[in-house]
Amino acid sequence: MSAKHNQANDSRIGVFLCECGQRIAPRVDLAALQKMLQDDPRVSHVAVEPFPCLAPGLENLRQTIREQGIDRLVVAGCEARIMLAKLERELREVGLREGQIDVVNLRGHVAQVHDLDPQQMAAKGYKLISAAVAGLEALEPSPDVKVEMKGPVMILGGGIATYAAAQELIRRGVECIIAVQTDNYWDELRMLHEHYPGERHYYDRLEKIMQEVDSSPLVRRITVGELTSLTGRTGDYQVTFSFLDDTPPKVFQVGMIIACLDGQMLNQGSDFGHDGVTVMCHTEAEEHIWTKGVPEGRVVFWVNDYEAGTPQFAYLSCRSAWSMARYMVEHSPTTQATILYNHRMAIPLSAGERRLSRQLGIQWIAYDGALRPTVQAGFVTCCDPVSHIEIEVPYDRLILSPKRAVGVEASKVAQVLGLEPAPGGFLEVHESRVRPEQQGRDKVFLAGSARYPCDLHEALRQGRRAAVKTAELMLAAQRGELYAPRMVCVVDPNKCIGCGLCKEICECGGIEPVEGPGGNIPRHVDPMVCTGGGTCAAACPYHALTLQNNSSLQHEARVAALARSLGADEVLAYGCIWGGLAAADNAGVKAMSYDPRLYLLRVGCIGQLDPAVMARAFLEGANAVLLIGCPPESCHHSYGLDHTWSRVNLIKKLLGLCGLDRRRIALAHADLNLPEEYIKTVESFVRLAAELGPIERTPQVQERLAGLYGTVNNARVRWVLGASLRRPWEEVYPGNQRSALAFDQDLMGIVTEEFVRTRVANLLQREKRAFELAELRDTLGEEEGLLVNCLREMVAEGQIGRVYREGVPHYVLPS
Amino acid sequence: MVEFEIDGQKVQAQEGWTVLETARKYGIHIPTLCYHEAVKPSGACRLCVVELREGDWSKVVISCMYPVAEGLKVFTDSERVKNVRRWILEMLLAECPASEEIRQLAAQYGVTSTRFAIHDPDQDCILCGLCVRVCAEVVGANAISTVGRGVHKQIGAPYLEPGSDCVACGSCVTVCPTGAMRRRLDAVRGKPKVELAR
Repeated sequence: MSAKHNQANDSRIGVFLCECGQRIAPRVDLAALQKMLQDDPRVSHVAVEPFPCLAPGLENLRQTIREQGIDRLVVAGCEARIMLAKLERELREVGLREGQIDVVNLRGHVAQVHDLDPQQMAAKGYKLISAAVAGLEALEPSPDVKVEMKGPVMILGGGIATYAAAQELIRRGVECIIAVQTDNYWDELRMLHEHYPGERHYYDRLEKIMQEVDSSPLVRRITVGELTSLTGRTGDYQVTFSFLDDTPPKVFQVGMIIACLDGQMLNQGSDFGHDGVTVMCHTEAEEHIWTKGVPEGRVVFWVNDYEAGTPQFAYLSCRSAWSMARYMVEHSPTTQATILYNHRMAIPLSAGERRLSRQLGIQWIAYDGALRPTVQAGFVTCCDPVSHIEIEVPYDRLILSPKRAVGVEASKVAQVLGLEPAPGGFLEVHESRVRPEQQGRDKVFLAGSARYPCDLHEALRQGRRAAVKTAELMLAAQRGELYAPRMVCVVDPNKCIGCGLCKEICECGGIEPVEGPGGNIPRHVDPMVCTGGGTCAAACPYHALTLQNNSSLQHEARVAALARSLGADEVLAYGCIWGGLAAADNAGVKAMSYDPRLYLLRVGCIGQLDPAVMARAFLEGANAVLLIGCPPESCHHSYGLDHTWSRVNLIKKLLGLCGLDRRRIALAHADLNLPEEYIKTVESFVRLAAELGPIERTPQVQERLAGLYGTVNNARVRWVLGASLRRPWEEVYPGNQRSALAFDQDLMGIVTEEFVRTRVANLLQREKRAFELAELRDTLGEEEGLLVNCLREMVAEGQIGRVYREGVPHYVLPS
Repeated sequence: MVEFEIDGQKVQAQEGWTVLETARKYGIHIPTLCYHEAVKPSGACRLCVVELREGDWSKVVISCMYPVAEGLKVFTDSERVKNVRRWILEMLLAECPASEEIRQLAAQYGVTSTRFAIHDPDQDCILCGLCVRVCAEVVGANAISTVGRGVHKQIGAPYLEPGSDCVACGSCVTVCPTGAMRRRLDAVRGKPKVELAR
């Protein structure tokens, strides 16, 4: 094999064809395929391997890669979803990193699913491999970025989980700063029942933890003002605390952050007879024990969470009622405790606790939840669920469940940390469902009952868990082994104007504003938080954001290569690895046969596809484009699918303006578990494409398609599109739009205008001479009124020049 | 470099390779179920058995985990191997009679009925644990495991309830050798918010 370098960028691309036992080799003519690839000037080395994924094959691959100096690799074999990780792991030692290896599913998308002869199979395989080669050719591999920690861990928020987190950190030898309310941990323990009532039995253990933390040299305890800002990124955060008086704010530089936030306990309203004296809540009862001692006489705990509308917290309230009742009976012989609970809930006690409860004489009374109990003076009346007789439960003190909320203090901190309350009002955030290695780190590890109501034990456990994850990263960084993931977004500060669109649509919270020189605010992406979804990059009006090692330009190169090779009735398709591609893989595993005219490309999230990628496909020769994402409402990157809907919509409008059928592009949904449905989708679209026939590629149509491509790259169009990346049935519209329809009409207006302007600019650029209005009108085939408006604006903006020859205006490129 | 024989053919392998890997390198077919190239072998299904002979002594081992050694004489399709495979397939037929894939494979070896007791005629899972290994080794999510013991053993998420660890990537469905994971996926990932019509 000659030492053939890629002409474009001196890269060396190797292609390995897998035989996969009998599953690829006889069905696909691999010799013919190898020949085609050998003749391809972009490919340096081609080889057929029986099993490139097994130890002997990998050994061979590594040897060839070393000998041939291959730095980009295509393996044509099976599912990228399953096999890519292993190839990346095994080939790291020969210098191939994430993004430098592509896997084409020759088995599942070609060999197993079509009834073609081996040569036709090879031809289809070649087109798909050729697209992968083009994508790798356009790759600009990024250097590995080492993440350094420029400070210790800071534990914010003052929640009780602080101590568990700090304990875990010091046990692992990691330094931390804890920001707490008081100088003395004893005060915190004294007030703990305000957040976690009925946890007295835990105090001894907690005190030991607090002592350990307090006496450790690795912990710095600060009690400073109010948290006012958090900026920076993983490894380099600036945390600012301000004071009410004139004291200058204090700034700490820290590496990572754990937030420990405790929720608040509110009292029930008067509808439960709450008066704070005889009828009180858990927190007040605890305060009573602290200040006045255990109440005597008949103490009734009513677990009224069902009636208060929060049945999900009945378990917690019941646990805390039980432990409070137990404490009372154990510490006061004259107290009789009764727990009144809705018969719909199970008693949350272990067998041992039930025995203890019987020994202590604590009474458990179930009531029929269908009838709401009524609080009266000295009695609660309720209905017995077995006999259906209304009974009265006498009390001296009635203790109600508290109402649980995030609380004002925790909300303030959460706001600074950028934690939005979830629909239930708590801070537990929805995580995008992507693979753990793609899942960016939570920007802030959150522990405590403000996240979601929990007991003390759970809060401490959360604190420890957050600390474990934090410590792992801190220690890896200390060893110099912490690298940022490679497929993340990066901002080009020279192109970014700081509009903030990306930050608005970013699902992972990885994009952060940074003050730049000259008052400019370029953005920075925290690579440790970014999930690599890429819809932000596809939305950027100025192409300032790039998903590195997996860029839009690579996708464009892929579709261009594929579109150029496609036949008249063949369809270019993209499938996301969670929906369309996974369904296609599963159809391949089951060897379900379907129409071979579909050419499926792989994309991480369908939202990664810039409208420019779709436009490029049409420009380069595709006649129909199908994008297959996840089922509705289940995009793994939260909104990628909906964003794509808007982008497809834009392309449809432009296809209409080009005089082409709008149905030539479509968004479809596929559930990975329903390969039959996927096949229905594919076959019906392929049928449609065949019906529509090929685009008649006259010079006029090509000119319009070039206009289409230019228009989707136009910053104004991209801005308007980016600001409206949502479905019309979402009610809130940006920019006070009156309605979805009105917005769509405005968008159509802008698109029409920019389409004409792009084409005028393209024409003048190409012909390099002056045009008068009539000639422009005839050449572009646009209506005169629209054209005049566009020309006037272009002249006013200096995009083109206007000169008069014999009194007639002519339009030229600006001098 | 280690030299030995598979079915009388001289083969070369490197220290650390398994018999199965070497056989595949030389295009020698050995049937497998629980084996997948993307994960470490676990030897659960025993279908990849081969016979090792030395003089008049021989033993049957699983090729997916048996390391290569100098001078081995491996037989992948001897009468003894075929007999063991037939027994295994007969047991599998009893274990998961509902699996089309297993029935086809068994039929290839001439096994069409089973003498073992069928406990559950709807069972299609051979409990090979490949899905569990893929979830752990490839995906890294560790969302599924075997749940329960003995005859109650099954594949599922903890407490057999959809959990947040599952990222719904479907890797388990793709690798499942019997197609059993397909029916179980919704019990692991949860029902999709919008279900596509079937």
